[in-house]
Amino acid sequence: MIKVRALSKAFGGYDHGSAEVLALSDIDLEVRDNEFVTVIGPSGCGKTTLLRIIAGLIPYDQGEVSIDGRAVIGPGPERAVVFQNFALMPWADVLSNVAFGLEIRGASTDQCQAKAKELIKLVGLQGFERRLPKELSGGMQQRVGLARALAVNPQILLMDEPFGALDEQTRRLLQEQLLRLWERERKTVVFITHSMDEAVMLGDRVMLMTPRPGRVKEMINVPLGRPRSREVEKSSAFLEIKEYLWDNLRAMQAVDA
Amino acid sequence: MTPETVTEARSIARRGIAWPRGLRRFARNGALEILALAGGALVWEALGWGLRLQWLPPFSKVMEALLQFLHSGVILANLGSSLQALLLGFSLSLVLGLIVGALMGRYRYVEKALDVYVHALFVCPSIVFAPIFFAVFGLSDASRIAIIVVYAMFVMVINTSTAIRTVDPSLVEMARSFGCRERQIFFRILLPASLPLVFAGIRLGMGRAVKGMINGEMLIAFVGLGALAQRYGAQFDAAKVFAIAMAVLIIGLLCNALVQILDNRLTRWAD
Repeated sequence: MIKVRALSKAFGGYDHGSAEVLALSDIDLEVRDNEFVTVIGPSGCGKTTLLRIIAGLIPYDQGEVSIDGRAVIGPGPERAVVFQNFALMPWADVLSNVAFGLEIRGASTDQCQAKAKELIKLVGLQGFERRLPKELSGGMQQRVGLARALAVNPQILLMDEPFGALDEQTRRLLQEQLLRLWERERKTVVFITHSMDEAVMLGDRVMLMTPRPGRVKEMINVPLGRPRSREVEKSSAFLEIKEYLWDNLRAMQAVDA
Repeated sequence: MTPETVTEARSIARRGIAWPRGLRRFARNGALEILALAGGALVWEALGWGLRLQWLPPFSKVMEALLQFLHSGVILANLGSSLQALLLGFSLSLVLGLIVGALMGRYRYVEKALDVYVHALFVCPSIVFAPIFFAVFGLSDASRIAIIVVYAMFVMVINTSTAIRTVDPSLVEMARSFGCRERQIFFRILLPASLPLVFAGIRLGMGRAVKGMINGEMLIAFVGLGALAQRYGAQFDAAKVFAIAMAVLIIGLLCNALVQILDNRLTRWAD
């Protein structure tokens, strides 16, 4: 279980010679085991900062962040991150990229190869093991990123706008693939997005955030069954939540736009 | 129009001129470079005979002198000691350049502390240090090697530090998210990611090392190819000076090709 209590985080300030900006203020969040939580909010609401704090990549100023009762003080083996820009090593082929996390976490070469090949197959990239990232489409690159994260068999998957850089068609295909994977092998997922469809389609709950400073506006339950298919997009519950999200997001944007 | 003629028309439109197929293949295979060299030699030859300037002997005279040097073993005898200094000096500047550059690229405070020195030494004509090295090391190989190091090292420091500093930060973050320690981040992410730019620096450094070798020999050590160039220069024997220059040029090109081969092997992914 991921527990975030009264979390605050500021950037800049005295050390950096600029005015301090409060990125996150008083965030509370609990993500249950095997739960899929999507986080949505306008840009500048600190959603990526929140994810990076949970991942243990950046420190926080106040509050508590813990996983299964242990305070987060850095990255840990129970967590894996999927990055918005894929973060693949351009000099390494698909197999080496997928095996990276395993190698770092001390698996033997044979284990790494076997496990990496298994994951490559799982995300539908068999036959591309020896290709370099630049030879793949964006969607394929992110499937490599997903396979690399899943290869270390994390309890918690932290996804930072993973499909944000992809075109709509590819994004929908990957959403469906992620749903199928998640329904088969449940993980705890925190999924950052700026797409309302994506937030409702994937999440058990949607966390709506407001900007400057980043705060939790509301946690919204998504009463859609599992396994989910595209059919739910036509349901009234889906449309209602989407509309509710848009009403809120538009009200936040009105100040800036 | 058949699809073929359309393609042909398009490719003509793109290039402006319809080159014969054979010539295109010839040009593709690097023959254009050979043609350019041959053209240069011809112009040189013509100017040499036409102008009859004392400082511009025809190309054929220079080649004659070069062949004579090779035949008599003068070049080979002097080459050994020159190349030895080059190898030692370049290796030293490579190792120092990579280490200092990597530290500057990775750690802000190292960069802040050393940046002004590195850039000052990079901009400063390295040959002004010749008398100092002469005073410190005397007429030994050490002063030639030291000259090569100040010539070659700083461009490699600057390139390496820029290369490390500009590595995609999300790759470093990715590595940290999987629990990489600082040493693993360096060897598994920063080093491979910075290789293309580091190699660009090594190529520049290699060129400067050859310059440093000759300048050092001409100004302090009076040995090797530099000393030969100095001696024939003093005799105003232009053909022989040019012949030495040719030999140096060939050495430079060979060294560059060597680095290039290594570069192509290690950084093919970046093409």
